[in-house]
Amino acid sequence: MSTFTNSKENLLDQVGARQQLCREVKEMIIEQLSLGIQPEWIADDQPLFGRGLELDSIDTLEITIGLQDRFDCMLTDDNMEVLGSVNKIADFIESQR
Amino acid sequence: MNTSTKLNMPIYADQIKKMLPHRYPFLLVDRVTKLEPGVSGTALKNVTINEPFFQGHFPEELVMPGVLIAEAMAQLIALIYIAESMEKADDYATHDIPFSDQVGYLLGFKNMKFKAKVIPGDQLIMRATIVGKFGPMSQVQVFADVDGKNVVEGIINVSEKV
Repeated sequence: MSTFTNSKENLLDQVGARQQLCREVKEMIIEQLSLGIQPEWIADDQPLFGRGLELDSIDTLEITIGLQDRFDCMLTDDNMEVLGSVNKIADFIESQR
Repeated sequence: MNTSTKLNMPIYADQIKKMLPHRYPFLLVDRVTKLEPGVSGTALKNVTINEPFFQGHFPEELVMPGVLIAEAMAQLIALIYIAESMEKADDYATHDIPFSDQVGYLLGFKNMKFKAKVIPGDQLIMRATIVGKFGPMSQVQVFADVDGKNVVEGIINVSEKV
């Protein structure tokens, strides 16, 4: 039984870490773009560009700089789909670790 | 004929005119003193009482418009990325490539601070360092000093022409 408890704790840790990462991504976006909103107002799967947060192509530069400064991740423009949502950005950050 | 695009320092005004499409009264870089293509650069602009903008800004108090200092720094940024594309083209017969056609546009200013007046007789020393890139867009940290004192600092976002 102890292994089960351990893995459940591990799972909870992973979920917690992911939620924390998504929150940090939202805080980074808000700070880089001076959006003046609360992180909770952005959903993890909400589209960031076009509809959704209505960001534009100039904002991609700011988010790229934020990823570089805050998460030490280099994003290039052949990886545009990374900027689709907070979850996709979080996936990208995790894949770079 | 020498077709090399290797840029020797300093870059004088006649060479700058080959790299930028700007002309009077809007060419605001006199000389480039340091340049690392695609990375950073230092340039100077001598501000004289004969500048056309002093006629109107202002008739009673001569102050170089802050937006024109920002424009001068944007022109330095253009020189940094034009130098990079000249360097990349070095293997080809590059003497007839119109590099100045690649100069793009401003995307934004961030946290620009104008700390002191720039007046006739001042020599602006401008520095620019690219801090991030995404596709054709770059974010650049810029400074301008007069007599060793910082007068302007901020961040300029630009895009190369695509």
